[in-house]
Amino acid sequence: MDFEPMEDFERELRQAFERRPAPPGLKRRLMEKRRALRPQRPHRHSHFVLLQRLAASVALVAVLGGAVVWKDAEERRKGEEARRQVLTALRITGHALNQMNAQLAARDRAAQE
Amino acid sequence: MAHDWQPDFEQLVDEHQSMVFSLAWRMTGDRGLAEEIAQDVFMELDKHLGKLESAAHARFWLRRVAMSRSADALRRRKVRGTDLWVEIDEGHGARAEERSSPLGNRLEQLLSTLPEPHRAALVLRYQEDLTPEEIAATLASPLATVKSNLQRGLKLLRAKASSHLREYVRVKEQASGL
Repeated sequence: MDFEPMEDFERELRQAFERRPAPPGLKRRLMEKRRALRPQRPHRHSHFVLLQRLAASVALVAVLGGAVVWKDAEERRKGEEARRQVLTALRITGHALNQMNAQLAARDRAAQE
Repeated sequence: MAHDWQPDFEQLVDEHQSMVFSLAWRMTGDRGLAEEIAQDVFMELDKHLGKLESAAHARFWLRRVAMSRSADALRRRKVRGTDLWVEIDEGHGARAEERSSPLGNRLEQLLSTLPEPHRAALVLRYQEDLTPEEIAATLASPLATVKSNLQRGLKLLRAKASSHLREYVRVKEQASGL
């Protein structure tokens, strides 16, 4: 008994050397092993956590900074408003005094005549 | 250089576990050892996921590492081919549904009696259907060496197969005559 020609033998080899199925549970065991080893290789996880913390810090600083700026602007606006009101009151008072002076002066002139 | 391919470990295991396990099994002839090697190869893959640039690169990497780990294991354990008939009777440690034809089993067992470089070249050629150039790249061997190993391995395996088949047929005929 012999293999003739060589092509027949090569065909037999291809059939004989087909891939065998992996043992049942190989993938499960691999995934378990991988999970068990995860804490020893934390660089990806720690990078993610670091980025999260950085983003949270930036957001917090932005909110606090915004609040401070808003409060400052609000106080300045209120101060301006108060100043404007005082100036208006002074203007009104000055105007009333001027009128009063004019009336008094007119009355004095009339008495002298 | 940036690459768009995003490797998924679980998917790579699904796709290639049979290939890695079969390479290790045919190289070592030991099912238990082959499973250990397959696990090691995939754990190594997990560490190198970020360096893999494409699906083809992952497949090439897995083949190369599986062959290299199998060669290391062979050197460590000095695994050698055992008696053909005992191996066939024991089904090579495989479950019944995993076994191929009797001739296929014999060829697999005869493969384990070949020198390691011949075995490596034949397994990559006939299991993985690689060209001699691809085998040379996988094994990091010169092309001329790979071609020579393929030719010699094939010739040796064919001679052994013919001889064992003649013996097998003779034993069968004697048994049926009794």
